Amino acid sequence: MDNYNSFKQEDNILIHTRLLDAPRELVWEVWTNPEHIKEWWGPDGFSLTTQSMTVAPGQTWDFIMHGMGRDWVNKIEYVEVIKPSLLSYKHSGEKNEDYNFTVSISFEEIGGKTLLTMKSIFKSKEIIDELNRKVNAIEGGKQTLNRLSSYLKTFPGNHS
Amino acid sequence: MEARRDVFQAIADPTRRAILGLLAIQAMTPGAIAENFDSSRQTISKHIQILTECQLVAQEQRGREIYYYFNPQKLKEVADWVSQYQKYWDKKFDSLERYLARIQKKKR
Repeated sequence: MDNYNSFKQEDNILIHTRLLDAPRELVWEVWTNPEHIKEWWGPDGFSLTTQSMTVAPGQTWDFIMHGMGRDWVNKIEYVEVIKPSLLSYKHSGEKNEDYNFTVSISFEEIGGKTLLTMKSIFKSKEIIDELNRKVNAIEGGKQTLNRLSSYLKTFPGNHS
Repeated sequence: MEARRDVFQAIADPTRRAILGLLAIQAMTPGAIAENFDSSRQTISKHIQILTECQLVAQEQRGREIYYYFNPQKLKEVADWVSQYQKYWDKKFDSLERYLARIQKKKR
């Protein structure tokens, strides 16, 4: 089963796969229903409040993550919605627009289970390299740690 | 869900980042660290405790004083963005799996 669970980078795309022991309709449901999504989305130890969620192209999911003593306002804009096989959305609202990226999740049926493939598509490979460099630059304490905040802002679920 | 004291959560707080910034320059006593902030000494000491728990900061006894110093090795856990992103989603998919198992059990 393990070969279904993978991670790789292909140029400007990060690709995660995971085989889930659940029917595809249910997996779709837990990604698109606020009551379900709050049970697993977001950093560990955070709670989540959905302000509105309309799963349709051009529509949004507005939510607030509560954690580490503060609220983190989030917005996701759906791009493609093909129930129950494909969902894609944009992370927007970054200060630096180059860091915005699109996530595309496909759900495939495999013998009663669901193979999830998540592709995170960045503007370019250079943007990913830049993010890596920024974080690396902090190593050794040579740079001010404030840089970490911009790193954290580009992290899903931590948009402030 | 319990709050995990990992490096990533530790550095997500601006006060803790500021403390690390100070300690990256020199080792300091808790009192000297607290003088740089408006927050109470107790609050700062709590932040130092969290940084110590995840080993971003270590302590050393010098005479009667305890000095805290920055442990850069530990920051390698956030070595690059891609590996953080990978780890983050691996964890999320674990939660997703657990949640799916839970709700399917309930249905049966």
